Amino acid sequence: MDNKTLYSYTALFRTPDEIIHAAEAVQEKGYVKYDVNTPYPVHGMDKAMKLKPSRLPFVSMFFGFSGTFFSLFMMYWMASIDYPVIVGGKPFFSFPAYVPIMFELTVLSAAVMTVIVMLAVFFKLPNLRHPFHDTDYMKAVSSDQYGISIEAEDEKFNEEEIKALFEELGAHKIEPIYFDDEEYTFKQTVFEPKFISLLVIVGLLVSGTTYFSLNKLMNMIPFNWMRFQSKVITQEESTFFSDGFGMRMPVKGTVAREHIPYLYADKPEEAAVNLVNPLPVTKANLELGHTKFNIFCSPCHGYFGEGDSRLRGQFPNPPSLHSEKVRNWKDGRIYHVLMEGQNSMPSYASQLNYNERWAVILYIRVLQRSLNAKETDL
Amino acid sequence: MSVVDYTQELSVVEGKPPLRSIDELISRPLNTKPTKAYYIALTVTLSMLGIGVIGLLLSFYYGTGMWGNNNPVGWGFPIVNFVFWVGIGHAGTLISAILFLLRQKWRNGIARFAEGMTIFAVMTAGIFPAIHVGRPWLAGYLFPYPNQHSLWPNFNSPLLWDVFAVSTYFIVSFVFWYVGLIPDFAVLRDRATTKIKKTIYSVTSLGWRNSNRHWQHYEMVYLVLAGFATPLVLSVHTIVSFDFAVAVLPGWHSTIFPPYFVAGAVFSGFAMVQNVLIIIRKIFKYEHIITIDTLEKMNKIMMLTGMLVGYAYAMEFFIAWYSGNPIEQFTFVNRAFGPYAWAYWIMVSCNVLMPQLFWFRKIRRTIPVMFVIAVFVNVGMWFERFVITVTSLANDFLPSSWAYYKPTLVDGAILLGSFGFFFTWVLLFSKTLPVVSIAEIKSVIDGSQPSHGEH
Amino acid sequence: MSSVSEIEYTKKSIPAPLRNAGFVLLAVGLVLSLLGIFTDPQRSAFNNIILLMMLISVSVGSLFLISLEYIAGAVWSTPFRRIFEHLASIVLVLPIVALPILFNLHDVFHWMHQEVMDADPILQSKAPYLNETFFLVRVGFYFAVWILFYFLLTSNSKKQDKTKDQKLTKRNITISAIFLPVFALTISFAAIDFMMSLEPHWFSTIFGVYYFSGTVLASLSAGTFIMVYLSKKNLLFKGISEDHYYSFGALLFAFINFWAYIAFSQFLLIWYANLPEETVWFLQRWEGSWMYISILTIIVHFAVPYFGLLSQPSKMNPKRLASMSLWIIFAHYLDLYWIVMPTFSESGFVFGWIEIGYFILGLGIIISVFVFKASKGNLIPIGDPKLKRGINFRL
Repeated sequence: MDNKTLYSYTALFRTPDEIIHAAEAVQEKGYVKYDVNTPYPVHGMDKAMKLKPSRLPFVSMFFGFSGTFFSLFMMYWMASIDYPVIVGGKPFFSFPAYVPIMFELTVLSAAVMTVIVMLAVFFKLPNLRHPFHDTDYMKAVSSDQYGISIEAEDEKFNEEEIKALFEELGAHKIEPIYFDDEEYTFKQTVFEPKFISLLVIVGLLVSGTTYFSLNKLMNMIPFNWMRFQSKVITQEESTFFSDGFGMRMPVKGTVAREHIPYLYADKPEEAAVNLVNPLPVTKANLELGHTKFNIFCSPCHGYFGEGDSRLRGQFPNPPSLHSEKVRNWKDGRIYHVLMEGQNSMPSYASQLNYNERWAVILYIRVLQRSLNAKETDL
Repeated sequence: MSVVDYTQELSVVEGKPPLRSIDELISRPLNTKPTKAYYIALTVTLSMLGIGVIGLLLSFYYGTGMWGNNNPVGWGFPIVNFVFWVGIGHAGTLISAILFLLRQKWRNGIARFAEGMTIFAVMTAGIFPAIHVGRPWLAGYLFPYPNQHSLWPNFNSPLLWDVFAVSTYFIVSFVFWYVGLIPDFAVLRDRATTKIKKTIYSVTSLGWRNSNRHWQHYEMVYLVLAGFATPLVLSVHTIVSFDFAVAVLPGWHSTIFPPYFVAGAVFSGFAMVQNVLIIIRKIFKYEHIITIDTLEKMNKIMMLTGMLVGYAYAMEFFIAWYSGNPIEQFTFVNRAFGPYAWAYWIMVSCNVLMPQLFWFRKIRRTIPVMFVIAVFVNVGMWFERFVITVTSLANDFLPSSWAYYKPTLVDGAILLGSFGFFFTWVLLFSKTLPVVSIAEIKSVIDGSQPSHGEH
Repeated sequence: MSSVSEIEYTKKSIPAPLRNAGFVLLAVGLVLSLLGIFTDPQRSAFNNIILLMMLISVSVGSLFLISLEYIAGAVWSTPFRRIFEHLASIVLVLPIVALPILFNLHDVFHWMHQEVMDADPILQSKAPYLNETFFLVRVGFYFAVWILFYFLLTSNSKKQDKTKDQKLTKRNITISAIFLPVFALTISFAAIDFMMSLEPHWFSTIFGVYYFSGTVLASLSAGTFIMVYLSKKNLLFKGISEDHYYSFGALLFAFINFWAYIAFSQFLLIWYANLPEETVWFLQRWEGSWMYISILTIIVHFAVPYFGLLSQPSKMNPKRLASMSLWIIFAHYLDLYWIVMPTFSESGFVFGWIEIGYFILGLGIIISVFVFKASKGNLIPIGDPKLKRGINFRL
């Protein structure tokens, strides 16, 4: 008993009126480090102890608004910047639809953080080593009595005075509380074998479960059913069809979307007469023609259609596009060449789509006119 | 009939039990061995749960084709059950948060239990969307986490709002519940007789010391949490109602859905809490804590919310007619007189007509009668969700695809299993944790607060 | 903290500034509105609807709060119930306020023109409800029911001042229980008749609830303002505490949020579903300068009072309460203006001396009727059995 350190002096009361009175008296005497312990919050005690209003609402407000703005920003970034998809004809950033989630995350962050801050920062809990634990005082105040305790660390602490004060206030039990030496001197160390082995076990368990569920479990029935489905996969053999192919040819006469059939195969003159360039001369169309000409035509015809191939004689050089003949050709006649090829030139029907072919023809006209400009152009 | 004296405040707790007797009474179920009746009850709920598990395994193995869901009714039992169970949960938060803000002291006796039921009901509800997606082990994709597909969920979808709402609701309810439990764990810790109990309660009480310097913040936080939980509970069922109401389906697209769903949720939740409380107070002998006055007040709230729901039914019907939209009009006539008329009239009679019996004080204070009415209310509210979900889908815009929805045996097994799941938790809860808040009930016993006058 | 053991209440006269303010506002408002009726009868008729709905909000809303107190067995509001009873007496002038509208029905309600009805198949299907006779019958019914319940509730309360009979409280609880469902239906259908049918094609099932939320706000804030004013002049009772103020503030705050919740639900569902027959109503309120009024409504009706009453101390501060409650009354007027006026002026909002005149008239009527009633009766229900508990109310 001798070497025990005194923590505080406590007194027990039986009624709430007495404890309020006691708290007021202790407060009036100027003690600072004292506390009242009651089985439930007693009304008016905060006033008696002259406690300042709790500042926790500010904590909730801070974390609440953080939640609001974080969620708004998160949804804005995810739905309008990183992965914009139009849903239901709504704009990428559709604020009204975000309000529900903004609200939920506001509440979530405010509620959870307020409780965590209260317990961990304001109360410094969990704390199982407080001298009050396991005392008769604690057992009394958690059940049906009202206690007050003045700590030994208080500047005005004086055993005799406090005892007298408590007696005067009508306490029915006055008792000193000591630190538990064993707990008081106990030092926790991180590198204890027990703790280390716990860490190792937890680590093994977590990694083992992760490995099992990702690499083994997902290959077991029924978790693998999404991967192995009873359907024919591309390039796979099929026993159902007589030819053994899983992939089927389209039905005869099937027309691809946006496909425009070419009616003048081997009929260049008819093409010249019947086909008219459907594209208007616009900047966009000329630019399209320019791009496509440079990609597909210029390697042989040269950038300006002068027949100056860049292939260094590895392929016969084509004639110039500025010849009288080509200049006088109708658009439809040039189109026929693009579709069917001519001499060594192959067909470009599969490289250029319908619009692109006509755009290239527009561009060829531009090139021609630039070398053989009319008087009126000047 | 006794005349109420309005000059005096009604006691919340009958008699003036000594505080220590409250400790003993509430911790008794935790310290005594369960009785035979408890084991029988547990066997029943576990069997129900087992049937549900079989239904779930069948669904996982063979797929959701085991259910009655099919074109055009793609939302069958799973959604009905989900909405039903989320609704059950709402009473708990209403009692613990809204009635706390309204300073209704009678709530202190029932809050803990109701909060517990909230948590279990939300857990039960969570099963259904998870299994309805078909592969519940992939449910993680519902949350926006950075994944290897660089995909994000669709924030415009009310179903995603549900994910946030229900998970937030669960977490906040749990936190609220745990904060309330801390002082009670301290009481149990100080009463513990065995070492193992003492260790458990010491850890769970976090070393609570009943200090008034703590109580002050604690009360403030409780108030703040109640302030957050109140709009939260409204928002959860509001968002559930959005699942239906943002669609352009007649019978679903109705602007009154949010408050109407909330009222319905509170209604069914109170009925469920009422049912369970009646049994608990009898078995655990809490008649003086959960008084007949408390039950009467719950009945009044049931009557009020029942009428709110009735108002919504009437307003929907009127506006459907008033809109002049023939499809809208057809949907409502079809509900009341079409192939699902039986479900509709079960709903109306259980939800609107039955609670009208509570106009009589005698019925409000007769326990067997209120128990029966509460059961009917639960049935009626389940059918309300059934009517809303199924009738609108079964007879939609395209008459050629109309069909009659028939649930399968597996659907029934899962529904039964959900009740088994819920009540198993309720039973376990009643024997492992204090089902009435010790600190809160002590604070409202007569004479437990200082008398104001003297100083 | 001291508790009151005996209630001391001596009746004092209402201070002259309030009386005069009421009188001046009433006179100016009357002159301006009469002038309006002669210069622009149609615009005046629309303003008259706003005025009528405003007064219904304050008076019938007060009746609702009174019966809510009885039903819930609340004690904190008992000492202030008489304020709401006096405010509820505005129901008696409602028929007079409605009279100019009844003479101008065709200016306001599109569907009252026979040729419009004949040309529109949708409106024809609504004809059994939207026709002049039935409309008048309904309006008459609403007024009759509200006046009836006003007399039932207040006469018992007044009788109790003398007899202190507890049975009267019991009787009022029964009356309140009957009144609440009646209130729910009448207030919703009044909102549908006077405001929703201005755009006869448009419909929304939540509209009644929406108007209800504004109703409670208007009556509660009128009562709060008067309560703060009277207690500052020491006309109520001794011992009015922070807890009383806090209760008012918290309730106001709750209903501000409730209004926002209902308004947002209505908007979100209509915005999301994007059905033409529904969105037209919100599109109209986004047309031209109406957009500014829509945004202003959100700020005035939600953001300002929300942040004004968010913190706990601000709910206990009588000054803040007084300013916020005045603000909310104005916000409710703005809300009604936003609902009603786009039908009158479709391209953009109009705001001039006629609108100001009617708003002033509304304030004048509220204050004058209150002053008139208050100078005849007591300001607190001195015979109520719950009064002492109410005065000693602590959270």
